[in-house]
Amino acid sequence: MNNFWTVVGFTIKNKFRGKAFLITTLIIAIIISIGINLPYIFSQFGGDGKKVTNIGYVQSSQAELAAGSIVGDQLKAYNEAQEEPSIKLIPYEDKGSAAANETELKKAIANKEIKGYLEFGEATAESGLPSMTYKSEKLMEMELTSSLQSTLQAIRMEAALQSAGLTDEQKTQLFTPVDIATVQISATEGAGNIGEGKTPAEQGMNMGFVYALVVLLFMTIMITGQLIASEITAEKSSRVMELLITSVAPLKQMFGKILGMFIVGLIQIIVYVAVIIINVSLPHNSKTLKDLDIDFSLIDPSLIVYALIFYVTGYFLFATLFAAVGSIVSRTEDLGQAVLPITMISLAGFYITIFSIGNPDSTLVNVTSYIPFFSPYVMMLRLGLSEPPMWQVLTSIGILLATIYASVWISAKIYRTGVLMYGKRPSWKELRKAMKAYKI
Amino acid sequence: MNPLKVEHIVKQYGDKTAVNGISFEVSEGEIYGLLGANGAGKTTTMRMVLGLIYPDEGKIYYHGKPYSNQQLQGLGYLPEERGLYPKVRVSDQILYLAQLRGMSKKDADVNLKRWLDRFEVPDYYNKKVEELSKGNQQKIQFIASIIHNPKIVILDEAFSGLDPVNVELLKSTVKELRDSGTSILFSTHRMEHVEELCRNITILHRSNAVLKGNLKEIKKQFPKERVILSTEGEVKGLEQITGVTGVTRHEYGYEIGITNEAAGGDILRHAIGQTAISRFEIKEPTLNEIFIKTVGGDGHE
Repeated sequence: MNNFWTVVGFTIKNKFRGKAFLITTLIIAIIISIGINLPYIFSQFGGDGKKVTNIGYVQSSQAELAAGSIVGDQLKAYNEAQEEPSIKLIPYEDKGSAAANETELKKAIANKEIKGYLEFGEATAESGLPSMTYKSEKLMEMELTSSLQSTLQAIRMEAALQSAGLTDEQKTQLFTPVDIATVQISATEGAGNIGEGKTPAEQGMNMGFVYALVVLLFMTIMITGQLIASEITAEKSSRVMELLITSVAPLKQMFGKILGMFIVGLIQIIVYVAVIIINVSLPHNSKTLKDLDIDFSLIDPSLIVYALIFYVTGYFLFATLFAAVGSIVSRTEDLGQAVLPITMISLAGFYITIFSIGNPDSTLVNVTSYIPFFSPYVMMLRLGLSEPPMWQVLTSIGILLATIYASVWISAKIYRTGVLMYGKRPSWKELRKAMKAYKI
Repeated sequence: MNPLKVEHIVKQYGDKTAVNGISFEVSEGEIYGLLGANGAGKTTTMRMVLGLIYPDEGKIYYHGKPYSNQQLQGLGYLPEERGLYPKVRVSDQILYLAQLRGMSKKDADVNLKRWLDRFEVPDYYNKKVEELSKGNQQKIQFIASIIHNPKIVILDEAFSGLDPVNVELLKSTVKELRDSGTSILFSTHRMEHVEELCRNITILHRSNAVLKGNLKEIKKQFPKERVILSTEGEVKGLEQITGVTGVTRHEYGYEIGITNEAAGGDILRHAIGQTAISRFEIKEPTLNEIFIKTVGGDGHE
């Protein structure tokens, strides 16, 4: 057992001594810091508050333009009545002809007085409004036109209600939105919270938690898994392996490496989380945090326990496979290709979960939550967002543990054989033959 | 009871027999030579002794006991292909390897410093292995294999790639180890090293032990077939003497092949008649010649 901890210690110490590791960690920490502070940085550059877009229109008493002028005036009045208007309408005097008006408005755009202008045409029969065209130098002014549209809708609604003679009270009744609260419950006895169900806030919190956890598991597997494989291959290609294997039992060595890397990965994650917490709790970010409405106490405690189980089991399942593959390959150059199948499996589990986050009851999710390489991801999704029955969760964990046992057994054999095989990557047949020859 | 006893070990890879029934014993304070052409089964034999692979048949005893994990800690191994962590400091990895073999970190540190001093490279303690020259890496590798004071040391091609000065340095260290009672299993292609170091040898050829025993005894089995003759002037007609198989002229004189020792006297008498003789020697065969004779030209597969 002593040897085991020596291997763990050496693995950890070496990683932290390595410049590459420290630099990567530092760079990611910096990127996280920048990412979190980005909204604040932007708001510093973006000037004060909201931007107001100036829109011009022609105010005229001419018969054919009168309808347009009325609409323009109405828009102007409505927006001025708003507390924080995003649009300001600026009237321009009629120059007599359509061409002269257009020239004047274009000049106004060029002088940066206005961003664009509204042009009114003939009144249409159905709406009673004149046809309107918004002209500006920009592409895709969807937001602006839809804002104008809704403003006009509101104006007309007001006018119609006015003419219908409704009281203010009746109007309020009409405009108050209907509210339906959602609570997620479980009809059968679920593995999660039983009875009172989950409120929207809890659901949101759980969804965020599941999301974060799945991403975390994926990253841990990808980063540490690759590290484990490449370390073993490096030991093999530098032939230290022959010394190691004569000093310490291969199984101890493999698990020492896996656990050591796990601790390294964990420390790395703790550093990142600490960076996030420090950045978020900076005074200028406190408002953003409040807006997001994060309350960790809303997370179901049983969910955290399950998260821990699936995180650790998921990691060890993949780590043993990475170790096995690392032991087969003799040169680091060949490693990328060799670990590809494992990477793909991990990626598949990750994507199934991410894309099913809005649909946690699909058959795909149900089926894959039992398949060992996907279940650490997918079962977390079900636990967090739906209420799977207890027996299903336990079955999934059971299958997962059995697979880990099998994977450890096979990986240990491959490892024991693989580390002594040099040359090109051995085929399964060669590996089996070697296992027999080595009597493993 | 000998520290290392190998009994009829057999190893097969598929239908190919890599080692076929080899036996030998290494006593305390002895260097045992394991010779053979490339692919003769030396490394496989060593790996079996190390417990890296298990023999199909036969037994290996360490101090009278069969292989176990405890035995690992009493073994030292210098692999043929050097293996150290290139990017890890010398002290870190040597201490790590020593700890894996059951040494305390403190003892290992004392030993390491002593060995670095012995090899006159104390400043390597804090250097990374990749910064060292190949010969110096070799020294570190050697230290790694004996840092934990093993009772049995296996040296696979210990002196390859070293300059003459360092070969002497390492050779004297190996002799010191021998004198302190360590049993050493030694393989090399350099026959002069074997002649200098080993008491007993086994020559492997195509998985079989073709020659085995005390080096002096082995040499006696082979007839003396070579005469070295240095003279003042020229000697003519050496080829005509009965029993002479061939004459080669060197700067120092003649090297004459003979079929039996009696021919040597004829050569001497023949030469005295012609000129003054400064050197006459009937040489016993070198291990190199014995090796080539035993393994033969077809030894290199």
